[in-house]
Amino acid sequence: MTIEVKDIHFSYGKVKALSGINLHLENGAVGLLGPNGAGKSTLLRIFLGFLVPDSGEGKILGYDIKSQQSHIRRYVGYMPEDDCFIPGMDAVTFTSYLGELSGMSRQEAMKRAHEVLFYVGLEEGRYRLVETYSLGMKQRLKLAQALVHDPKLLFLDEPTSSLDPQGRKETLELIKDISSKKDIQVLISSHILSDIESVCSHVVILNKGELAAQGEIDELKEIKYRLYEIKVKGESQGFLQKLKNIGCRIEETEDMLLKVYMLPEQSPQEIFKVALEEKVQVRHFIKSQTTLEDLFAKVVGVD
Amino acid sequence: MTIKEKGYTHWEGELEEKKFPWWPITRFGILSTFRKKFFKIFFFGSLIPAVVFLVGIYISERLDDFRTMIQRPERLLNVDPGYFKSYFTGDFLLFMMVMILVFCGAGLISDDMKHNSLQLYFSRPLKKNQYFLGKAAVVLFFLFMLTLVPGLVFFFMKLIFAGSFQFFTTYPWLPLSVIGYSLLVTVFFSLYTLFLSSLSKNRRYVAILIFSVYFFSDILFGIFYGIFRNQHFALLSLKVNLQQIGALIFNQKLPYSISSLYSFLIIFSISFLAAVYLRKKVKGVSIIK
Repeated sequence: MTIEVKDIHFSYGKVKALSGINLHLENGAVGLLGPNGAGKSTLLRIFLGFLVPDSGEGKILGYDIKSQQSHIRRYVGYMPEDDCFIPGMDAVTFTSYLGELSGMSRQEAMKRAHEVLFYVGLEEGRYRLVETYSLGMKQRLKLAQALVHDPKLLFLDEPTSSLDPQGRKETLELIKDISSKKDIQVLISSHILSDIESVCSHVVILNKGELAAQGEIDELKEIKYRLYEIKVKGESQGFLQKLKNIGCRIEETEDMLLKVYMLPEQSPQEIFKVALEEKVQVRHFIKSQTTLEDLFAKVVGVD
Repeated sequence: MTIKEKGYTHWEGELEEKKFPWWPITRFGILSTFRKKFFKIFFFGSLIPAVVFLVGIYISERLDDFRTMIQRPERLLNVDPGYFKSYFTGDFLLFMMVMILVFCGAGLISDDMKHNSLQLYFSRPLKKNQYFLGKAAVVLFFLFMLTLVPGLVFFFMKLIFAGSFQFFTTYPWLPLSVIGYSLLVTVFFSLYTLFLSSLSKNRRYVAILIFSVYFFSDILFGIFYGIFRNQHFALLSLKVNLQQIGALIFNQKLPYSISSLYSFLIIFSISFLAAVYLRKKVKGVSIIK
């Protein structure tokens, strides 16, 4: 078990940041989602050993989150969201320097720095000062420094933010490569849900400090609701109201398409039953492919 | 740029728990300081007093050879604890030490704050104290090169030039004084520099602060002393406080007739407050916003 936490509670003074978080995450790529203030940063702070939870217990890579923070940081790679570098260093020096701080010998760190810079595609610019790098190159460099000591667990905070489409695609390819083939677990915190969907198989959604959903993305989408797209003819207000009354969530698109989110225990026949009662014609009915955005909106309760 | 076909490979080695995990920080700090424009000139210029005092020690043992060149050399070149004190508490040396601080210390923490690199350090198995030690050791290195190293060299060269241990038997405590004063002045200046460096993200402001706080304290003393003629105002000056402590450690007459205990208290208090502030200001938890 790479990440295992039980009943984690944490408060900043009177403000409750996390409440009863239970997680069991195995190998692979995991997306950490949630609106602002959901507790993602606090959870990452606890994972990295910077905060000690008020109550609860947990282990990261087998190390206790309350007493073995230093060990955790030794075997974890962290790619921060912010633009961050150490001025006056070229990329090789920068990467090997951080490798040394992780516990590598100087020679090994230097050798390894060349390898990871080659891997992230910075081999041509590795002797340039990091302050002269473009945003995309800095993003790759941050990934390189997180990988230099060959971590078992990688925390990526908004890895594709501020990147152009090509840079974003390439970064996602790297993350996919790392997480799918290299037995490194990756935890990605991102607001770009399509990125999470394309890279991760597993997702953790936090809302207001609580665990809103956790599991395989495909399963969650199935379990949480079913989505149907319908078009109707006739007076639809009463029809829509009745659907809401039986627990469906409805979205109307600009082209008069109705997206009906039904609970898994509900049958789609109920839509037709309500239509019959309200005397509207169902002209279009299709079981739709749900996206992570839909799931996110559903569990977090926003459109 | 594309992903290379070679792909990601695991590292075969084992991560170690190092005895001095802060050493890479110090090494980089020292090397990058030497790369700065004009630093080498300043640094080697600040060694001039050490060379002059060393020549003085040599001449003091060869007075007969230089009698025709120097008037009353016995008074001028009497190598004793006072001679050491003159070197350590000289205005020029203290000025050059402050200049060295400007070069090597201004950006130590402010650059990390400006470029968000604290999160890179603290996401490593590096404790806050180790980070500070790595940064402070940069300052310690350069200041030891101006204090501890010349002080011990003077002592041993005196013994070598004299060809006897008489100097050591007369002043057996002198090496301890050299070590003690060097430690005190370098630790104080290290904390002083790190504290000021953590106040701003702009290293230029920090450089001005390092320079101006030191000299303003001395100017303030001069102004108040000029008006009130009270020697206690000497306690306002960082330089005078260091000189008072230096005189006490080298068992010499104090430059001002006020207790050196006050100077100790002031220097200790500034160092303590700087350390407390640093611990509060630089937080590992700030790595994720």
